[in-house]
Amino acid sequence: MNRRIFFMFMSPSLFVMLMLMVFPLLTSVWLSMHFITFRNINEPVFVGLTNYVEVFADLKFWSAFTFTMTFIVIAVPMQIFTGFLIAVLLDQVSRRIRGIYIAAFLMPFIVVPVVGTLMVKQLFESGGLVAWAYREIVGSRFFLTEQSVKTLILLHALWAGTPFSLIVFFAGLQTVPHELVEASMIDGATRLRQVRHIMIPHLRSLFVFIFLISIMDAYRVFDSVFVLTEQNPVYKAEVMMLYTFRTAMSVTRLGKANAMSVITVVMILVVLLPFLYRTYKEQIEER
Amino acid sequence: MKRIENRYVLAVIYTILTLYALFSVLPFFWTTLQSFKTPRQANSRVPLFIFEPTADNYTDLWLKAIPDDPVFVTLVLLAIFGLLTVIALNAKRFPVAPGYVYLAVLAIGFFVLLQIPTFVRIERFYNYFINTIIVTAGTICVSISIGCLAGYGLARYTGLAGVIILVVALGFRSLPGLSYILPYWWFGQHSGLYDTHILLIITLVAINQPFTIWMLRSFFMNIPKEIEESAMVDGANRLTAFISVIIPIMWPGIVSTALFTLLLAYSDFLLVRILTQSNWTLTVAISKYAGGEDPGHITLAAAAAVSAAVPIIIVVFIFQGQLVKGLTSGAVKG
Repeated sequence: MNRRIFFMFMSPSLFVMLMLMVFPLLTSVWLSMHFITFRNINEPVFVGLTNYVEVFADLKFWSAFTFTMTFIVIAVPMQIFTGFLIAVLLDQVSRRIRGIYIAAFLMPFIVVPVVGTLMVKQLFESGGLVAWAYREIVGSRFFLTEQSVKTLILLHALWAGTPFSLIVFFAGLQTVPHELVEASMIDGATRLRQVRHIMIPHLRSLFVFIFLISIMDAYRVFDSVFVLTEQNPVYKAEVMMLYTFRTAMSVTRLGKANAMSVITVVMILVVLLPFLYRTYKEQIEER
Repeated sequence: MKRIENRYVLAVIYTILTLYALFSVLPFFWTTLQSFKTPRQANSRVPLFIFEPTADNYTDLWLKAIPDDPVFVTLVLLAIFGLLTVIALNAKRFPVAPGYVYLAVLAIGFFVLLQIPTFVRIERFYNYFINTIIVTAGTICVSISIGCLAGYGLARYTGLAGVIILVVALGFRSLPGLSYILPYWWFGQHSGLYDTHILLIITLVAINQPFTIWMLRSFFMNIPKEIEESAMVDGANRLTAFISVIIPIMWPGIVSTALFTLLLAYSDFLLVRILTQSNWTLTVAISKYAGGEDPGHITLAAAAAVSAAVPIIIVVFIFQGQLVKGLTSGAVKG
């Protein structure tokens, strides 16, 4: 296929991506240097880097940043560890029973995040099952406080985020070469040693892939936090996306919100660039 | 591979798997149970598992008034949709290509859904449901059409430009949606497209485009070059060869990608929340039930959550093979 035909095939998609991804990002940078609220939406006032200075001096921004980082540090290892553990165990059981388990495990993945969060929340409502168990065991009522809302957010992340890594690990385990496993069994290796010395090394690139995807997803977590803190803004369990959203939509400081989103993009790119470079090299070799 | 034979180890494995499966489905089970209770039952001190179920929450959610002859209306609607399902299942027996039969069935089904408000007094929740169908279907059609062209181009072209487009698209895919959506909101306000389906569809297409082209490309790579080359020797140009030879054997890949586009478009919350004022989709409408002081909100929220989950579970149930294949094929290679 020559270059001209390639771009003919590519042009509709390329046009959409240029107009609705590249161009908005540049607009975002432009907007972040202006003072805009709903009132002067048609005459933005140029203020230079004032918005950025304001963001960095904003204590709420730093508290949202801290919670986002805490969330990533706790949720991502939890999801990956549980996903890998369950995938290895699932690999040991017979083929017929697997299907039923996989169907159950995939339920949290296919349901809409907002709906899934609402369903988890139902368990903790005043008449909910877990709220009742909590009252029976601990002896006091279950209250939504800052601490318990944060715990709920993490619990939901474990519930909703694990199925993805589980299913990908499980598919990866099916590609582990049989000869290796059989040879190791003849040498007398135990199951645990097989996991440690055959499966984990074999799945190394998969671990990197899932780690990266999970970090990205944790970084932009929004829906579950929004639902769990909606109408309870006092709980302050805000993540960066939610704080940006509220700055834009409730406080109507569009310029400041765009400054925050530019900062977010820069931070993500720092993590992402090595991975993108690796993908670039792989693709160059493959073609 | 030799299986584990130690009975105790097996018991431990099954226990852990079953506990985790219960953890996964518990919220579904409990929410469904709550949605059939009266507010009083739902708020009882000790959780009720055996009670007289009521459909009040669902009728409150969907209907303004119950029609005069509810049994007749339900039966007629069930008959129509049952007939359509039977036709769809037997699509291969018709003298025309099955694709046209599916298309006709979908069109008639959608037409009937649009006609329901003329003889049943419906609540606004139903409008959100229709909005969701329009936005999701529109996004799938546009996204797959332009995505197929691009994915095919990327699979066959070996120049540097293709690699650069792919890597940059991957980068854009990884950024949070909010970075695009705030400028979209600004465009929407200026162009007067704010709160329209068109704005939602084009922005959803754009946001999902990187993912779509990556996935379709991986499917096109599996199709041998010789197939279209032989068609081109016979005198067809590349576009004709693409449409008449490649697309017909690509259907499994297209369905798989369409399924993921559906999941993404259906579940998108932030974009629809910011770009609409009243033309919400179900996902946004449901977030309104997240909290409140009214004691009835728990059961109503439960009914809303179940109502939004059921369509997606039905779709996934029909196409479950494609879902697992799509999840594992693209990811394991990367």
